[in-house]
Amino acid sequence: MRLSLEHIVPIPLKDKINEYNSRVWNQQLTFNSGERVFIQAPSGTGKTTLVHFLYGLRKDYEGKIHWSAFKMHEINREQLSQLRASSVSVIFQDMRLFPELTTWENIEVKRRLTNTVSEYDAEKWLDKLGVKHKADSPASKLSYGEQQRVAIVRALVQPFEWLIMDEPFSHLDYANRQRAIALIDEVATMNRAGLLLADLDDNDYFTYSRKLLL
Amino acid sequence: MKPLKQSRLVQKLLLRHRSNNRLWAALIALFAGTTLLLIAVMIWWNFNLILSGTHDNDSLGSTFLTIGKQVTDQSMGKKGASLFTPKEISTIENAPQVQDVGMLVSNRFPVYASLSVANGFSTDMFLEAVPDRFMDKQPNGWSWEEGNTQVPIILSSDFLNLYNYGFALSQNLPQLSQTTIQALAFDITIGRGLYTEQYTGRVVGFSDRISSVLVPESFIEHGNKTFAPNAPIAPSRLILKVKDPSDKRFAEFLQMNSYTTNTEQLRWNKMRGVVDAVATGTGLLALLLMGIGTLVFILFIELTIAKAEASLSLLLQMGYSPRYLGMFMLRRFVPLIVITLMASAIIALILQEVIAAKGKALNVTLPDLPGWPVWVTLAASAGVLLAFVCRSIFRAIK
Repeated sequence: MRLSLEHIVPIPLKDKINEYNSRVWNQQLTFNSGERVFIQAPSGTGKTTLVHFLYGLRKDYEGKIHWSAFKMHEINREQLSQLRASSVSVIFQDMRLFPELTTWENIEVKRRLTNTVSEYDAEKWLDKLGVKHKADSPASKLSYGEQQRVAIVRALVQPFEWLIMDEPFSHLDYANRQRAIALIDEVATMNRAGLLLADLDDNDYFTYSRKLLL
Repeated sequence: MKPLKQSRLVQKLLLRHRSNNRLWAALIALFAGTTLLLIAVMIWWNFNLILSGTHDNDSLGSTFLTIGKQVTDQSMGKKGASLFTPKEISTIENAPQVQDVGMLVSNRFPVYASLSVANGFSTDMFLEAVPDRFMDKQPNGWSWEEGNTQVPIILSSDFLNLYNYGFALSQNLPQLSQTTIQALAFDITIGRGLYTEQYTGRVVGFSDRISSVLVPESFIEHGNKTFAPNAPIAPSRLILKVKDPSDKRFAEFLQMNSYTTNTEQLRWNKMRGVVDAVATGTGLLALLLMGIGTLVFILFIELTIAKAEASLSLLLQMGYSPRYLGMFMLRRFVPLIVITLMASAIIALILQEVIAAKGKALNVTLPDLPGWPVWVTLAASAGVLLAFVCRSIFRAIK
């Protein structure tokens, strides 16, 4: 699946865009399937805004975003849900777990949507990230670090061609981050999926094909 | 770890905030509204059956009316003023609700009756005839051909009542039962002067429908032809078969043309007004209650969705489709609506059976099952309710 950005300009940041010297805003960009892209975004430059545009959560922008045949400015709600369920997965900066569900229920509510990943794999991945023992704990009782690891596993229990990540390791220590990176790399490779990671500082978590400044 | 059922997880997220008390209140309001609406339709439908004389309810006597021209001070002296012309008869045939018109033909020759067993009892009298299809009953022996000396007579029940409760009591005469009257043979003399004919008259039955002394049409025709060949044959009274005598347009037609009838026979006119008012009142109240019930139910659904808004929004972000979530909610709420409406339908079924049984006791035949207007109302209210619920669910999920 190819991702194209055609001169995207967020309307709230329209007046400030020219000051940034951005390599993303108001640019013509095409990301081929399987690419690994890092977007470095200093605070206040619209990193989360971009993730939300790409995932179809916000539409207050000028320009066009295409996920292959899906045109985000024309997409209907059913097509959007289809795109999210089977092509584009996301790890939100603020995790967005269901606080009233347990860790395992949070994973299952996503895994059951497509039934493409076995519960064995899901359980194994939770174990790899060290949160299997929290399977029956309500998400609201988990620490930020634990919530972030559950959110990472949840993003992986669906078929995807692109994984969008917004500061995905912000609450993880070095060891946990390395385990998370290894798991994401493994599953993305298995899916032959592209990665798009947005973060504040430059990093080499993955072997990026492109690094862009927002 | 055990795999979990998707629907159970979604239910936990979306319906966790559902209040059972509110749900019961909403369902009871809906049930009361629907039931009342069906009852209102049943009242209207059952009375309609009675008033329009369908379902063998002719016993209420409203489907046949005898009309005549009102005798006024102006028309009193005019000969033939009270007779119906062919044009008038044709107008009446096309009047609202009129299905058939028959002429009441009276004798244009003198008739003299005497009773030999009661020495000295004799009277001048009149005879009339109507087409047989207008008779409420045709007793055995109801026919006459030239050469027959026996003439069958059907007497109005009213006349016997007048005799028994008015005349006989005041004159100290014996009261007579119907069987006694039928056992008596009258000597009937028709004609005047030298040329008369003698017959034996026998009462063979009594009519509730026509206030007259009826003989077979053939007898009147024979007498009129023999003794008054030049007299007009126009009728002075008409008998009408009327589909719904309670129809205001029919009553207005009679009034406009100054035709008289037994006003008691039009009593259903007033009754129809009362029934219409009751049914309309109950219907409006029912619609109001049904509206409130629907509103409460929809508010309940919207409140449930509003409370689960955060979960709903996150499920959509996960990739759950609005259609799946909408159908999920519908599958939870529609069975409740169906059960509630079915409960109302059961009440309607039971009620109709009770109404039919009560009607039977009053000699009124009504069907044991509610008719199509009741089912149409039920289907329409189900349709409207489902449309509102669908709209409310899918709008809330957007």
